[in-house]
This record gives sequence, C-alpha cells and structure tokens, in this order.
Amino acid sequence: MNRAQSWLLLYLLTVVGITFVHQPGWLAAGLGLALLAAGPARWRLLTRAVLALLLFNVSVSLAYALVAWWQVRPVADVLLLMNLRVLLLVFLGFWLVDRIKLLEALAGWPLLAMIATLAIGQVAVYRRLLDDFRLAFRSRNPVSPTPVDLLRHAGAQGGALLDKSLHSADQVAQAMRSRGAFDA
Amino acid sequence: MHIPDGFLSPQTYLPAWGLAGVAWAWAGRGLARRLDETLVPRLAMLTALAYALGLVMLPLPGGTSGHALGVAVLALIFGVRLAFLAYSGVLLLQALLFGAGGITALGVNALALGLVGALVAVAVRRLFAVAGDSIAVALAAFISLQVSALLVALLLGIQPTIARREDGTPLFFPLGPEITVPAVLLPHLLIGIGEAALTVFVWRHARRKGWVSA
Repeated sequence: MNRAQSWLLLYLLTVVGITFVHQPGWLAAGLGLALLAAGPARWRLLTRAVLALLLFNVSVSLAYALVAWWQVRPVADVLLLMNLRVLLLVFLGFWLVDRIKLLEALAGWPLLAMIATLAIGQVAVYRRLLDDFRLAFRSRNPVSPTPVDLLRHAGAQGGALLDKSLHSADQVAQAMRSRGAFDA
Repeated sequence: MHIPDGFLSPQTYLPAWGLAGVAWAWAGRGLARRLDETLVPRLAMLTALAYALGLVMLPLPGGTSGHALGVAVLALIFGVRLAFLAYSGVLLLQALLFGAGGITALGVNALALGLVGALVAVAVRRLFAVAGDSIAVALAAFISLQVSALLVALLLGIQPTIARREDGTPLFFPLGPEITVPAVLLPHLLIGIGEAALTVFVWRHARRKGWVSA
C-alpha cells in the first residue's frame, strides 16, 4: 500500500466514523481539529468546501426550516447537526485531494485508474475546446446573436467537441497500446 | 441528481456500498478483454461528457441537484456493465474534485444513477424499438432519468424515518418523501427533455461513425 492509498484508507474510515457522530459539539470539534491539521491550506480548503455546499445546503435548510416551523418541530439542532456534518465531510474530501495524488491512490484498481486518467484528460480537452469556441463566437458577433445563431453555434460546437475529444482519446489509447496497456 | 455526503444514514449507505461492490465486481469481470484502442477512446470521450454534464447542476430543495446524466448514452453505446463502471468513475471524480455527491453516498449514487439508469435505458430502448430509433433512444434517456430521480428522492425521503432520535428529530436528511419526490421529480421532467435531446444527438453521431448499428 503506497502513501496515497494509506491516506485514502484513513479518510474512508474517518468519513464512516463521522456519520456515527450525532452531537453537533463533537462535529464542531472535529472540524476545528481538521482545520488545525490542514495547515496553511486550511482557509482555501474551507472556502472551497463552503462554496461547494452553500447553494445546496441552504436550499435544504430553508425547506426544512419552513416545514419544521409549520409543524412546530425543533429546527436549530437538526440544521446545525446536518450542516456541520456535511461541511466536515466535504472539507475532509478536499483536504485529501489536496494532500495526495488521486491517480496514485487509485493505483490498486487498474480499470478505475485508467478510466479516471482518460476522463481527466478528456475534461481538459473539453475545457480548452469550449474556450476556443466561445472566444471565436464572440469575435464573430459584435452585436448580440439571434437564437438561430446560438442554436447553429451549439450544434457545430457539439459536433466538433465530440470529434476533437475522440481524436484526443484515440491518441492516448494508441500511446497506451504501444506501452502494452491492453496486452492480456 | 447526486446525493451529497452527510445526508444518508449508515443504515442506508453501508448496505449500498456492499451491493455496489458486488455490482462493480460483476461489471468488471472479463472487462479487460473488451477494452482495446478502439473502445477506450469512445468510452473516455463519453465518460468525460457525462462528467461535464454532472457538474452543471441546479440545487433542489428536495435534497439533491438537478442535471443531465449521460448514463443513457453510455449504456446504449457500451452496454450496462461498462456504463455502470464508467459512471461510477465519474461519480468518484466529481465527489473528490468538486464535492459534488460524496464518498459515503457513492454506493447509492452509483446504483441509482449508474446501474438502474443504465438498465432502464437499455430496457426502454428495446421496448420501444418499433417506434423508430430516435424515439426509442429519446424515451430511453427520458425514462431512465426519471426512474433514477425517483429512486434518489425515495432514498432521501426515507432518511427521517430510519435514522432519528427517540424524540423523532431526524439525524440525517430531514425531509420526508412527500417533499423529496415532487421536489426532485418535477424539475427532472424538464431536464429529461434536454437529456433525451442530447442522447439522440450523441447517438446519431455514434451511428454516423459506425460505433453502433441502427
């Protein structure tokens, strides 16, 4: 087991353990401990975690607050427990990814590691291509485009995206073939 | 419509992880022989598409998010087993890199979205094959999304019943199925139309390229 896998195992055990804790005080203490242990990256990771769950948890919290108010049920304790737990779990996930190389941690599962490698590579290809198309479209349209223009652009972009992506993945697969990745 | 971390009780996610483990073993059996330099680029391309689709999400008060999945297109082109594995990889990446979904919820999300979504898509396409290729593919994508959404809504909705304190206050996700089912399903009726259109678009592209037979 390499270092990344040890961290992954520790993370998994911690995450499961956290879901058996039902006292907001303990969860807050756990979050405080994790923040201390995360070192200089703590505020960046905390901001990322809060932003990742903000919209989502706010919508659930508001919905529950409304229902609980209607049914005259306790609100604060439930919301504190739920939001602290979610924040701690998301923070730990981001901390893990910040600390280890994900592909190293997946090394024990070759198929998963391969799919992850290819998907991460493809995501980068998509991002570059979408940026290119967006900038080209903007430069061709000094005035606001019509809905028909937008639709035509989206169709062309979609087709090009698939072709370019396939070409890129094909090159990766050929490289993998030349290195014996598909040999039985 | 991933379920995030922290909303599912261990009574739900631990058995789901066990079940997903069995399903992953089944899906992965003999797969290495199928993967070659022809299949892998196509799989990578559509897996990345599913990954991108999953990140454009709208939070729903029912405790999850609304977005297209891309599972149906994976299942229709590559089959259930490969689609399930690829989508599980997508869920893992989204959970770790973006905090979308989560590790504890991975088993439930993989089963509800990846496995059930793929199975329903393939079954519906076969069922409606006589209606014509594009209609069958569109229905497969639409219905598979709705079934997955319903499953996710029900799993969230049972949390206040199966995990609560003695006084009845919920320990995990606090809203019941009377809220989660409409809150999750109604937006997905609209999202399903987009998913169906996208699936037909990619399916036609795949057919033009000769990846699938009509």
